[in-house]
Amino acid sequence: MAKIIAIHSFRGGTGKSNMTANVATLLAAEGQRIGVVDTDIQSPGIHVLFGMSQERMNRSLNDYLWGRCDIGAAAHDVTSSLDERLAGRVFLIPSSSNPSDIARVMHDGYDVGLLNQGFRSLMRELELDALIIDTHPGLNEETLLSIAICESLAIVMRPDQQDYEGTSVAVSVARKLRVPRMVLVVNNTPTAFDFAEVKERVEKTYECEVVAVLPHSDELMILSSQGIFALRYPDHPVTGLYRQVAACLTA
Amino acid sequence: MTEASASILVVDDDPINRMLLSRNLERQGHRVATAEDGRRALAVLRAEPFDVVLLDVLMPELDGYETLAKIERDEKLRHIPVIMVSALEDMESVAGCIEMGAADYLPKPFDPVLLRARINGCLTKKRLHDLELEYIEQVGYVVEAATAVETATFAPESLNGVAARDDALGQLARVFRRMAREVTTREHALKQEVRQLRIEIDAGRAAAQVAEITETDYFQDLQRKADQLRSHPKS
Repeated sequence: MAKIIAIHSFRGGTGKSNMTANVATLLAAEGQRIGVVDTDIQSPGIHVLFGMSQERMNRSLNDYLWGRCDIGAAAHDVTSSLDERLAGRVFLIPSSSNPSDIARVMHDGYDVGLLNQGFRSLMRELELDALIIDTHPGLNEETLLSIAICESLAIVMRPDQQDYEGTSVAVSVARKLRVPRMVLVVNNTPTAFDFAEVKERVEKTYECEVVAVLPHSDELMILSSQGIFALRYPDHPVTGLYRQVAACLTA
Repeated sequence: MTEASASILVVDDDPINRMLLSRNLERQGHRVATAEDGRRALAVLRAEPFDVVLLDVLMPELDGYETLAKIERDEKLRHIPVIMVSALEDMESVAGCIEMGAADYLPKPFDPVLLRARINGCLTKKRLHDLELEYIEQVGYVVEAATAVETATFAPESLNGVAARDDALGQLARVFRRMAREVTTREHALKQEVRQLRIEIDAGRAAAQVAEITETDYFQDLQRKADQLRSHPKS
């Protein structure tokens, strides 16, 4: 049975989508069939990392939620734009980045229950090994749903006062939803920090395993914005950390 | 500088010559040691530092020519200026000694005025040479300090000697030391910050936010469904 993995952060700008894209690609490189759903409907963006433009996006998650198509029709096989030699596949279900679509979602909302049905259909139709949900920051209904139905949850945070409280709320809520496996990922960590100490302190504060502490550097920011980092730099230590996160979430 | 006291070794097998030269040099304010041949002279030179050597050309055991050759071959001694002392008829030997590295020569019987001039000339050159060596050595300390900064082993006091200079190198050392201290202080402060990395969470406010979410009907319904889903994963 396919595994549902949610990758979440309480605040935006933590590198959550980058994490999702890299984890998905690394799992596909191992031969797995991976679905990636961008449920960040109000500020979508992960499609850019998979090399997809709004023009090429003939069907999106929005179309499914508005009853215009089946969820399967909104799934795009993006494997060839990553690397045709990948042993597995990556299917992306993007959210529309069309401003009028975003405005409509924000104004009218949608039936969140449809998401759960859609996820189940996707896993069946595409014979997925794992479905990764790139969530919307905060804790709105669709994010709560994603957390409620997932088997593994990674909460991405920065070692930053602005992230601490929100992460604490997210961890508490996820515990109440009894997520079977929850881990934290500390991203954008200044290199002057002692990473082992950061890991220890964060684990102690949230009483939750920290699966990786990733560094912040200008070089990394530039390289990450050019596509899937793990594909371009397979031997980089940061790719090793993404691999660690992927292994932990699918264990 | 030329009038400063120096340490001089007089090498001559003739006790009268040794005495005359010593007395004259002492009157000029220098400290004088003597040796009666080349072999003894080399032993004395290796035992204590000298600023100038007055070396007679014709001596038993080890003559001035051979002694000079040994001094020039010795890395620790070759920087000491050697003034060859010789009778006027030995000019050919003197020329050979100067080619070999002798700094100057003094004809016998010696003229006190010429002796003073030769000694002062040699001392000036020697002191300039010493200053140059010291400068190179102290540049080396700054280079070592740069390497130490890279390997995080820099000790600011290692530059105290260079920093005390009143020239451009001294200023370089002072600025370098100050900048390295600042960098170290900043790094230390950052590390302290990590040590003190306090994750401050307003527990009351966080609990209120959690309650706001979890006490909704939507959440409680979701929680029930999630429980069902997890207890019957295939349903």
